[in-house]
Amino acid sequence: MMSFDRPQEDLWGPRRARIVAGMLAVVFTVIVGRSAYVAFNGPEQAASGAHAAVAATRRADIVDRKGELLATTVPGWSLAANPSAIWDAGEVASELKTVLPKLDLIGLTTTLSDKKRQFVWVQRGLTQEEKDAVFGLGVEGLQFVEEARRVYPRGKLAGHFLGYTNIDGEGLEGSERAFDARLRAGGEPLKLTLDASVQFVLEEELERAYADFDMKGGVGVVVDTHTGAVRAVASWPAIDPNRRGDFSADIRANRALNSRFELGSIYKPLTVAAALNAGVLIAADRFDVSAPVKIGAALVKDPHPLPNAKSVTAGDILAFSSNIGAALIAQRMGVERQKDFLRSVHLLGGQSHEGPQTASPLTPEVWDATAMATVSYGHGISVSPLAFAMTYTAFGNQGNYVPPVFVEPVDAARVAKSQVMSPETAATVLGMLRETVTRGTGKNADAQGYEVAGKTGTAEKPGPDGYDPNKNITSFAAVFPASRPQFVVLVVLDEAQPRTGDQRTAAYTAASIAGKVIARAAPLLDVRPVLTASNAEAASLSVSEAKTP
Amino acid sequence: MRKLAIIGGFIVVVLAVAVYRAKLGAEETQGEIAGLKAQVASIGKDISVMKAEEAYLTRPERIGPIARQKLGLEQAKPDQYTASEALSRRLGEERLTLPAPAPVDDASSTSAPLESKEVKPQQ
Repeated sequence: MMSFDRPQEDLWGPRRARIVAGMLAVVFTVIVGRSAYVAFNGPEQAASGAHAAVAATRRADIVDRKGELLATTVPGWSLAANPSAIWDAGEVASELKTVLPKLDLIGLTTTLSDKKRQFVWVQRGLTQEEKDAVFGLGVEGLQFVEEARRVYPRGKLAGHFLGYTNIDGEGLEGSERAFDARLRAGGEPLKLTLDASVQFVLEEELERAYADFDMKGGVGVVVDTHTGAVRAVASWPAIDPNRRGDFSADIRANRALNSRFELGSIYKPLTVAAALNAGVLIAADRFDVSAPVKIGAALVKDPHPLPNAKSVTAGDILAFSSNIGAALIAQRMGVERQKDFLRSVHLLGGQSHEGPQTASPLTPEVWDATAMATVSYGHGISVSPLAFAMTYTAFGNQGNYVPPVFVEPVDAARVAKSQVMSPETAATVLGMLRETVTRGTGKNADAQGYEVAGKTGTAEKPGPDGYDPNKNITSFAAVFPASRPQFVVLVVLDEAQPRTGDQRTAAYTAASIAGKVIARAAPLLDVRPVLTASNAEAASLSVSEAKTP
Repeated sequence: MRKLAIIGGFIVVVLAVAVYRAKLGAEETQGEIAGLKAQVASIGKDISVMKAEEAYLTRPERIGPIARQKLGLEQAKPDQYTASEALSRRLGEERLTLPAPAPVDDASSTSAPLESKEVKPQQ
């Protein structure tokens, strides 16, 4: 047999050699193919994903509507230590304490004494000066770690509304918290509807108010009537988010959004509007407000008697702020229609919008005739100032309520308007508000050329023993210019007591502040003054003087 | 067969050299890219710091007093505004009161400024 003629290796040798050669050829082909691919196509971009991930971690900036920088992230430094490399923990801690006085000496000594650890934080978020000072110590076992640091270059400007982050860049308060996901995603700056210039004017006027009034707090809001874009929102005392730790929790609270106030008579225009809209009131109707009236359990009085009190119109009731008149109008309307109207302007809650939310309102537990009467002039119901300011947008927007908008771009065509009163009702009440400024309690708010239409509100503050006659919330809510409404302004002062000895009513406090804000903010908001005969004359005179040699 | 082996070996050597050069080039390029990215990141950080400084230096409470004291600027008052129609009407009146133009001297026609009554802008 053949198998006996040739050795076995000889018999299988060529076949095995072919198999091995074939396999080597396959391997060779693969190697050659892959080599050629790499040679001609270059290396794979394996690292690009990592870079993208790193880039995405930079928190986005916050800018105002004109692109002015309000919040940004800059490189910062934190101080860490390696306890295993520190010989004398007590000495290191003591030396660090000399340049970082906020350090807990005992706690740091204990931490640095743990030789098993190789990394501990000493202090995060160092300033450049602190870093230089620590570097100058030349202490062993320390290291600086570069970390992003959130800064607010304009200091107190819009401090409450911007809010702040923690050391790890997570939003804790204000816009930093409300838009945290958007900001953490990085990319383009978050453009707020705020106008830094108007915000500055508002904050400065609130600050100046403190020179005129001894007050506990203040709030200001400026809103576009047509879009709801919030152009300025301020809470006084202001805070600087860069130094948030220096302010108490009470001051850090944003009174414009997160506090609730009984705002008083600035509710009366809403009462009149609701009654006009319900068809239970016409502007020419007359009321006798010469004597207190009892509605439910409430004996409603006017602190100051009105002129011709036996026969006043709704316009007079607003102009001279009659509680009796407001309660009588509410009585015509009834509880349910009053509640329905307040619900429609979101004063009973239920509103949601993008951005920082407002405090939910406090409403009467039992909404009976007594509550109806007090709510008609702004007592017994507490809302945030911003939520209230939005109700006045309807007067300047042909009866359409608009919700607050905080982020640009604002598309007027997509604003979620809701018709809460007829255009005729809005125009009628707006006219009454203008009269309130020209002949009523709002005279101090009449910024020349800007046709301010507004209402004063003075409400005693509720306390544990009932309302305190010595503590007031004074407010002024306005729309301007009355002939072509563009903005709503609300000023609220907490326990404002004029230092000059004037009365502590809104006519002498909040109204004057609102007037100053409007006079300064209007040109910044591109609101042209209304050219009246006196304005034209003044303009003419200034030209004549210029021509005179 | 031997020739084939030589050619194959030659190809392998060429490709090995090519792969080495490609890898080396890629590493160099990656190094350059990393350097440029670090440079971009560094410049980006510098820019963010400078933007923050700019915002800090242009705070209204700082700029306002400078604008008032150094430049005499004040906020516009309502009586400084006028309607554009009123402005054109006023300019028309000014033109009517202008004196008749003097005869033009050829030599000075290209250089002499026009004699006209100056209307100062409203302050």
